[in-house]
Amino acid sequence: MASGDTLAIFTPYHNEPPSSIYATLDIRNGHPTLDFDGTTDEEAVFTGILPRHYGGGGITVDLHISFTSATSGNAYWQVSIERMDDGTLDIDADSFASAQGVAGNPNATSGVMTLASVGFTSGSQMDSLAAGEMFRLKVRRDADGTAGTDDVTTDAELIGLQVRET
Amino acid sequence: MAVLTSVQRLAIRQICGRRLSERREGFNLTKADLDAAIAATDSWIDSSAASFNSALPLPARTTLSATQKAELFFLVASTRYSG
Repeated sequence: MASGDTLAIFTPYHNEPPSSIYATLDIRNGHPTLDFDGTTDEEAVFTGILPRHYGGGGITVDLHISFTSATSGNAYWQVSIERMDDGTLDIDADSFASAQGVAGNPNATSGVMTLASVGFTSGSQMDSLAAGEMFRLKVRRDADGTAGTDDVTTDAELIGLQVRET
Repeated sequence: MAVLTSVQRLAIRQICGRRLSERREGFNLTKADLDAAIAATDSWIDSSAASFNSALPLPARTTLSATQKAELFFLVASTRYSG
């Protein structure tokens, strides 16, 4: 397949909440959202299978986000990949690769979504994930600003995300 | 009573953010700005505690505990300014 092709789509109901610091499910005008706290880092996790037509060119993760009330400021997001390769990974422990970060800031109008895209080069950034293999994808809001600027006090919302070939 | 610790002030900021988010109330103060407001409020309470106590009539001034006086202040303030 070609650059730009969609590889996976996840929405809030696909979330597999971690045991702690999990983003919480909410509804906004009928739209399911995952709410990420403004002070404490929170995470959402999604499981998928990388399609066999993935061409090996790396992936880009598009986050469709909004904010409960903020219309200015900065928020920082981190995405990481865990390869679940058969015959190797022990799923009793997490083994996500290092996160890649991206700024995803509020729109000037509350309720208008922001698109934040973060790229992963083929190889270690993707935890060496290959076509046909299972994977987990973790989305974290860096609310405490450890890795990037996050000065929005209130909740951020993840409406959906897309994985596409870079 | 001494001013709140940084951990306590952070917890207040988190509660503020949570309540504003639940109400979907427009709010664009940065975390740093809100932290400054929380610190200033805490300092004002600390420096004004004696004055508030003196304003209370007897027997409330000598009968209520410090916690009860604080709750009284909170209830009156929140009722005055509730939307």
